[in-house]
Amino acid sequence: MALGKTPYFEDVAVGLELPGLEKGPLTTAHLMRWSAAMENWHKIHYDKPFAIEHDKLPGLLINGSLKQQFVMQLIADWAGPQGWPWKASFQFRAMNLVEETVRVWGRVTGKREAPDFGLIDIELGIINDAGKESTPGTAVVALPYKSGKPVPYPFVPPNL
Amino acid sequence: MSAFSDSLKKYIGMKSETEIACDPVEQGAVRRYAQAIMYEDPIFAKACENNERYGGPVAPPLFPTHLFRRPLGTEDPIQANARNPDFDGIVAATSSQGLPNIEPLNGYALLNGGSEIEFFRYALRGESVKLVSHYADIIEKETSKGPIVLVVTESEYRTGEGELLIRTRRTQIRRK
Repeated sequence: MALGKTPYFEDVAVGLELPGLEKGPLTTAHLMRWSAAMENWHKIHYDKPFAIEHDKLPGLLINGSLKQQFVMQLIADWAGPQGWPWKASFQFRAMNLVEETVRVWGRVTGKREAPDFGLIDIELGIINDAGKESTPGTAVVALPYKSGKPVPYPFVPPNL
Repeated sequence: MSAFSDSLKKYIGMKSETEIACDPVEQGAVRRYAQAIMYEDPIFAKACENNERYGGPVAPPLFPTHLFRRPLGTEDPIQANARNPDFDGIVAATSSQGLPNIEPLNGYALLNGGSEIEFFRYALRGESVKLVSHYADIIEKETSKGPIVLVVTESEYRTGEGELLIRTRRTQIRRK
């Protein structure tokens, strides 16, 4: 099978910026569509009086559960079909409000060699139109060696 | 330690039963989910070169974590709370991870504080998904905006055959 768009471990340098993702502007229609898809109906995402008056929030919030999908997309797309988006960790430190456009970013911070594939450490986050960071986090992506096989699937974590 | 703290501590370590999602991974549900997250990768739609080694069309990475919905024939919380001004719209069947409600936090607002995710395998169309969770920690904190409670839940999602799909460690922020 062709490697497709998966980068090789050797070709990735610390400091490399991952291709970013932009989502938005995220309207109440987007948030309702997400609520319907996951069948949960937390009012802080579509009922403005409830969000502001009852829960004392500044407005309708973009779901954390939606933002985490964007993080996974960032690393899964970059890992490509022969790599693997093993880990992601993030904190929702600030709120993103409806109508914001969010940009998901990632930067390589480290590389580790395992016997059968390499691990790429990534710092990531989500910024809004004003450049404010809301979701700092990290990720680990497994990539194949040039002389090696695709990353095993299902993924088996290495003993490091 | 306060009575409130004591009442929270007893939930730490509490485990769910193994819960099986009421529906398997369905093509229509995957399509709606992929469209809702605006991630319309062909690997979710049809057999193609890029999902060959996964065994065919798959669901988006975190899809199994949102597959636990209210089964037919169970109480409808939206109708049951239609006149409840404090009902926040959260459907326990889809958000509790199979764990019991933390009674001392009734009436507390809920915000998503973040997650740690380990991803091992995509769920394939037609597969069932099962879930086991436990409360890993419950922490009271003082913040500039008042007291909050952090509820940390760890969950494992597996196929019906027992293959590990995803592990999560989620933090919910609860506040008055």
